[in-house]
Amino acid sequence: MRYVTRKLAQTVFVVVVVTFLTSIALRFLPGGTDVIVALKTGPGATPEQTAKVLEELGLNKSLLGQYFSWLKDFVTGDWGTTFRTNQSIATEVKRALPVSVYLMVYGQIVALGLAVPTAVWSAYKQNSRFDRLATTSAFAMLSMPNFIVAPILILFFSVNNKWFPYPSLYTSLWDDPMAHFKAFALPTITIAIPLYAGYMRVLRADMIGTLQSDFITTARAKGVGTGPMLFKHALRPSLFSLVTSAAVNVGALMGGVVIVEQVFGLNGMGRLTVQSVIGREYPTVQYCVVILALIYIFINLLVDLAYAWIDPRVRASRALG
Amino acid sequence: MGQMSTQSRRKPGRLLAVLVISAGLIGAACGGDDENSTTTDGGSTPVSETTGPGGSDTTAATATTAPPPTTAAEEVPVPGGKVVFAIEADTSSPWRPSEMVCAIGCYQVIRNIYDSLVMPNDAGSWSPYLADSVTPNDDYTEWKITAREGVTFHDGTPFDGAAIVENLTRAKEGILTGNALRPVETIAVDPADPMTAVVTMNTEWAAFPFVLIGQAGMEASPTWLAASDTDDTLKSKPVGTGPFVYADYKPDEVFSMTKNPDYWNSPYPYLDAIEFRPIPDALNRRDALKSGTVDLIHTTNGETISEYRENTDLPMVEISNNAETGFTLLHVTQEGSPLTDVRVRCALAYASDEQLLIDTIGAGISQIAFGPFSPTQVGYLEHTGFPEAQDMAKAQELIAAYKAENPGELNLSLATTQDQTNLTIAQQQQQWWTEAGVDNVTIDQIDQGNYIVTALLGNFQVFQWRNHGGFDLDQQYIWWHSSAAPPVGELALNFGRIRDPQLDALLDENRASTDPDRKKAIAEEVNQLFGTQCYNIWGSYTIWGILSKPTVHGVNLFTLPDGAQAPFGAGFAGTFYPMTLWVEQ
Repeated sequence: MRYVTRKLAQTVFVVVVVTFLTSIALRFLPGGTDVIVALKTGPGATPEQTAKVLEELGLNKSLLGQYFSWLKDFVTGDWGTTFRTNQSIATEVKRALPVSVYLMVYGQIVALGLAVPTAVWSAYKQNSRFDRLATTSAFAMLSMPNFIVAPILILFFSVNNKWFPYPSLYTSLWDDPMAHFKAFALPTITIAIPLYAGYMRVLRADMIGTLQSDFITTARAKGVGTGPMLFKHALRPSLFSLVTSAAVNVGALMGGVVIVEQVFGLNGMGRLTVQSVIGREYPTVQYCVVILALIYIFINLLVDLAYAWIDPRVRASRALG
Repeated sequence: MGQMSTQSRRKPGRLLAVLVISAGLIGAACGGDDENSTTTDGGSTPVSETTGPGGSDTTAATATTAPPPTTAAEEVPVPGGKVVFAIEADTSSPWRPSEMVCAIGCYQVIRNIYDSLVMPNDAGSWSPYLADSVTPNDDYTEWKITAREGVTFHDGTPFDGAAIVENLTRAKEGILTGNALRPVETIAVDPADPMTAVVTMNTEWAAFPFVLIGQAGMEASPTWLAASDTDDTLKSKPVGTGPFVYADYKPDEVFSMTKNPDYWNSPYPYLDAIEFRPIPDALNRRDALKSGTVDLIHTTNGETISEYRENTDLPMVEISNNAETGFTLLHVTQEGSPLTDVRVRCALAYASDEQLLIDTIGAGISQIAFGPFSPTQVGYLEHTGFPEAQDMAKAQELIAAYKAENPGELNLSLATTQDQTNLTIAQQQQQWWTEAGVDNVTIDQIDQGNYIVTALLGNFQVFQWRNHGGFDLDQQYIWWHSSAAPPVGELALNFGRIRDPQLDALLDENRASTDPDRKKAIAEEVNQLFGTQCYNIWGSYTIWGILSKPTVHGVNLFTLPDGAQAPFGAGFAGTFYPMTLWVEQ
């Protein structure tokens, strides 16, 4: 319990720091608040218009006052409108967030779904032809950046064969599941390839170590079958590095999502952030950054908490203090 | 008439996929001449002849009497279906006519929601469209615009004289559109006729209806305009009288519309729905069409146009009449800028090899330009005095002469879009100009949404650009007259802030003139002035390719209510009318 409390406290601290730094970022733009006012109102703003913009964005307050004002807006969902198109920023983020979440989740599912059985079997059949093939292909996949993979997939699967749409027009899972999965197929593969390779190698290494443990030898001596031995006894204690890797990869995944969404034309958080940066939609960038940061922070919190479940030795060591 | 064939594969255009600025603000790019109108005065039909009071006699067509569509004989349009149209950019700011910052993508989209009071016609003149008539007094200082009977906006608001007054007043007060309506003094409903608006001018303005082709003449619902004054989110949900009704808009993703079943210009539109999706990269746009994800694209990419001249898998219509010119825009009056010196400007021109760009990057499809006017425009000249071929020695000589009088580094900043082709061109220019003696040429990539704004504010030195379609010199007034060149930081349509008394005098004389020969002479003189002063570095004339799936038909012209033919462009070169589209079911 003490561990959980300590982790939660750390998380709250990180959230406060992240949100504070994000909320005051507008003040440190080149050109200062004048730039924000000009972007919001267009050139030639009257003093009244200027005051209104400063008030709306809390730029007429102290740093702390600005933070609390921003935090209140953030919590209540009153995020204002974009400069160029007068769209609600909250609506924009709400529209983009599921796209990125789907992409990240699908990427992880595909990567883990392929990496776990491959790594387990590779470790069990260490140095076999299967193992060598799996390891070599993983190296190859790691060396292929997604901005190279994506155009190849597009050329083959979309342009030449028309099997999948390009650009990947987002469709809700509930409106048209087939169109939804077709839209996400190629971006997911692009995202999943390097993830799969990394996961496979990490899990394979841990599994090899676990399979040499005394308790596995004992299990074998007791006549436990290969399947239960691998997936029931050996896999769970081997997941530690994989879970850590998966959690750490959420950050890398967000970076990948930015590129993949751009290439495939998926309007998720990555694309929204990039477009907002290019379009100098600073408040939108603020909210995108803080949302992505919060996702990262909370996923890492969950992973920290999950360690104890995954490996009883962690629980035991923490119990001992 | 076979418009598709006559529009296709004939005139060279310009590869540069640089931004089209809002020529439609003043209907600058009112295409119109077909390929037979190749004389330089083909579009110079005297405005007085076509816009005289008698013009209103030919404008009695109504919704119920609208002529049939002009598709080829073997094509029978089938109503229904949906088309996804990939466009080069989502460049609008609020979708209100007086506030839009419109490039071609924006025009291609928004003209489906808003009808214009006036449309250009194939005689090189104009015809009333949403307006029933547009009639001047004898000296063109007062114009009466009468609303078409029985038309309502999508929200049910009636279209009448008050609606015209509301829209024109907002246009007059608009930061951008106001530039185009500067000579307008008063706008009011005719006390004798509630369907008519009366517009008075502070000068004789025979070409006034051309302004009504573009943004200033687009009619939005006064009810919606009032509501959107207090609710910003409504500004992106436009309400007009056009063939399609707003359904959804997600910036940089999609603008979708559904059929307006009560459209006054029956039988249009044929489609049940249309969706516009911005895909900025030209080759990605082509690939999206190849993949079948979109049904239609527009492009100025030379590689794509060249490919589909040979490959007929995807039908292509080329549009190049009264084309815009691709060029490198120079800010010529910025204090302390080397570009205020004609030697530096001309040195950049001498150092450039536009033909090389056309051949290598543009697949050789375009015709090199030596001035702002393309071959079918009034004022076109084969030779204008502008450097016609690369002469690096001459460029170096001019730069050296400048540096001798102006010690210190000679630095330039060159702005381009994020399109890879444009960046390649910028990098080539950087290389040439450095070789000519410019010490540093920095390249600044700007997203298309901000590209126009940057130009409007004058925060640039050198800018890749595309503009100046149309045929009457008066349509270029706001781009070149010093009255449209306020200081940097204020919005100006004279982006390069040209302040040339000789040019001003010519533009003013042209505005007042109704003599076609004199107007032609003035336009040619302007062309030569641009050539010798090197105010811009001319590239080539734009050619647009409209590519579609074989199942999509109807990239056609159509007949206007007065019986004239509406040309491609309709005030904006390269555009066409999606209401004429239909798909095989």
